Amino acid sequence: MPEKPQISTLQGDNVHREWSRFKYPQSLINYGILLAILLFFAYSVHYLNIPLERILGMFGRLGDVLANRYYPPDLVYIVDKGYLGAIIETIQMAYLGALFGLLMAIFLGWFAAYNVSPSRRYIYPVARLVAMGCRSVHEMIWAILFVTILGFGLLPGVLALTMFSIGFAGKLFAEEVESIDMGEVEAIRAMGGTHLQIFVFGVFPQVRVAFTGIAIYTWDVAFRAATVVGFVGAGGMGWYLKRNIMQIETERTAAILLSIIVLVVISEFVSAWARSRVSRAK
Amino acid sequence: MQDQTSPLTLDDIVRLRRKKQRTHFGFYLILIGLVLWSVQATVIDDTDWERIGSLTDVGESVAHFIGIDFGLIPSLLGPTIETFMIACIGTLLGLVICIPAIWFGALNVTPYKPVTYPIARIAMTLSRSIHEIVWALIFVSAVGLGAFAGILAIAARSLGFIAKMSAEAIENIDHKPVEAIRAMGGNNLQVMLYAILPQVLPVILGIVIFEWEINIRRSSVLGLVGAGGLGLVFFRQMNTFNYPGVTTVILAILGLILIGEVVSHYARKAMI
Amino acid sequence: MAILEVENLRSKYSASGPEILKGISFEVEENDFFAIIGPSGAGKSTLIRCINRLIEPTSGDIRLDGTDMLSLNAKSLRRMRRHIGMIFQEFNLINRMSVMDNVLSGRLGYVGSLRSIFRVFSNSDIQRALELLERVGLQDHIDKRADQLSGGQRQRVGIARALMQEPNLLLLDEPTSALDPKISREVMELIRTMATELKVPVLCNIHDVQLAKEFCNKIIGLQDGNKMFDGPTETLNQNSLDEIYEMEVL
Repeated sequence: MPEKPQISTLQGDNVHREWSRFKYPQSLINYGILLAILLFFAYSVHYLNIPLERILGMFGRLGDVLANRYYPPDLVYIVDKGYLGAIIETIQMAYLGALFGLLMAIFLGWFAAYNVSPSRRYIYPVARLVAMGCRSVHEMIWAILFVTILGFGLLPGVLALTMFSIGFAGKLFAEEVESIDMGEVEAIRAMGGTHLQIFVFGVFPQVRVAFTGIAIYTWDVAFRAATVVGFVGAGGMGWYLKRNIMQIETERTAAILLSIIVLVVISEFVSAWARSRVSRAK
Repeated sequence: MQDQTSPLTLDDIVRLRRKKQRTHFGFYLILIGLVLWSVQATVIDDTDWERIGSLTDVGESVAHFIGIDFGLIPSLLGPTIETFMIACIGTLLGLVICIPAIWFGALNVTPYKPVTYPIARIAMTLSRSIHEIVWALIFVSAVGLGAFAGILAIAARSLGFIAKMSAEAIENIDHKPVEAIRAMGGNNLQVMLYAILPQVLPVILGIVIFEWEINIRRSSVLGLVGAGGLGLVFFRQMNTFNYPGVTTVILAILGLILIGEVVSHYARKAMI
Repeated sequence: MAILEVENLRSKYSASGPEILKGISFEVEENDFFAIIGPSGAGKSTLIRCINRLIEPTSGDIRLDGTDMLSLNAKSLRRMRRHIGMIFQEFNLINRMSVMDNVLSGRLGYVGSLRSIFRVFSNSDIQRALELLERVGLQDHIDKRADQLSGGQRQRVGIARALMQEPNLLLLDEPTSALDPKISREVMELIRTMATELKVPVLCNIHDVQLAKEFCNKIIGLQDGNKMFDGPTETLNQNSLDEIYEMEVL
């Protein structure tokens, strides 16, 4: 059998080759960043006075509290007519807020899409700013603001959910519009279509299906938010939650929380089913 | 089988078009009617219109918010940092507790499908269905007021999203590297380290950064129920009717979110 | 007078970039089927798109029926574009809409915004659409979705749509590049027949020289943004072709 060639004699030259896993300066920067992040976390734990040693004890206490004070949940309370009415209100608040928000988000998505925005210099940046603004403010803050201006009730809740939906759906719509085939848009532009015609004929037919999926998703998330905006006075189930927490009615609180969880899970399943139907019907 | 031997005439086509348009129009009309009725039944009836007053009254209310309370700014620094930290540690903790959920929740690596997979999916659904405020309430009653409850709430809320997306990423891996490592005699751990993890880690990192950005937004309101951060300052400014102060806090929150977006943008670029 | 007069047209993609068109001049008369040929990257597509200002030229003159295209504001440009029909390489139909609605959309420039959104077109529009669809041979497909048609059928919808505009000029941007040779011939034949019938001049960007020679009466050849040839088809000989295409080294 012929002798297997030794690697070092293959080339026949005597050049010394090297490789190291550590690359200067890139590896240094990477490890530096990692170290900085870890230090930040360690400092944060210290800064926030997180009692690491007491953690396990706390979870024991949580189990205690759950078993004794929150169980059994007061189910009678939640099948009461008043609370059932609150559930209906929550659903209505959610879908009205999502509906108005989505309608406005369609236009916002159009204006905030770089490829088809009617005016890239003025309308586009403003639309992007509005979408970011609506998105960045938490729905609870919107709710508090509207309650302050308009008082308690469902109207501030609907408005808060509208603002939330505009931000949520607006960004998703804009991303969808930015990924269309521009050929169809070019055709409408070439024949002298106005901006609105370009949108209705060139953009919308392409994104209609995706928009429907996003709309269903938005409704689902809006419902989730609707269950808690009542906490700050905007009506619906959240209001009952707040009252019972304030009155330390723990079993009723447990029942309300349970009802919220059940309803949101149901809405999640319904929306997931609807979205899969929509994407199959493409 | 043909029930028409002659092609449609112009009149036929026009008639069909008009009919279709009228049906659509009628449908939309009914829909709008339902919505209007809904609005009437809830918003219009339920609202105390007298208290709101006229449009100018509303305008005045809004005008109260215009302005910045500069005196408040120094005392905002602490809570702002706190909010930021809650988001960071909360997201990290969420990732850590996610690991078993991801393992159980990916169809191709879950140890005992009929049992572990449903457990994971239920955990993910619960985590995502419960609003962060509700999580915060739960943890505040368990571990007391303060940032710790906030961190736990963020972690519990993030678990669902991170686990679901990461499990999907694992389910969608390319099997060719797995095949290659097995073919050269690698064991399960080596397959995980050399074939699965390199594909999946960048995706998971992207998911974590995405969720981290959203968590900054969530952390800002947890203080409303006592879980630390700017939420408490917001609450206090509201209660003392210091509306410019409220605006200032909101600006601080927006600033934090902006930082999150910038960091996330550069992190994404670095990953590609 | 020529329908389209182009004088010293120059175009760049960006202020600091290279010049794509380096001073092109030519005229299209009423009965012309005018071809633009040249190698890839010569600027043929850019030239076609400068005519209706889908791409903005940097300098030069374009006069359509005497109107100075480059001085029009946005609104007047839209009005002018109604009179220019365009047929695209990738058909650019609204894929999710029916053939009928696609052809009707050719009237968008003439119908008010609000009416067009609700797709209310006049009877005479519908009548004309049906006639055009019959002429291009698609009368049995009017309610099909555009993406259910073959390439050749889609381009015929494109032809019908462009002619719905009752245009003064037809622009074709490589109308047959996405079609196989036999269908390409049929499509070019159809365009030539209908353009002659309706007395519409055609300006056609085409990379298949054979098709250009067969269907077009005048040709200009572009190479690297410069006009290398301008004249009747008969005078295009192998020398001129070599100059235009400058035998690329493979």
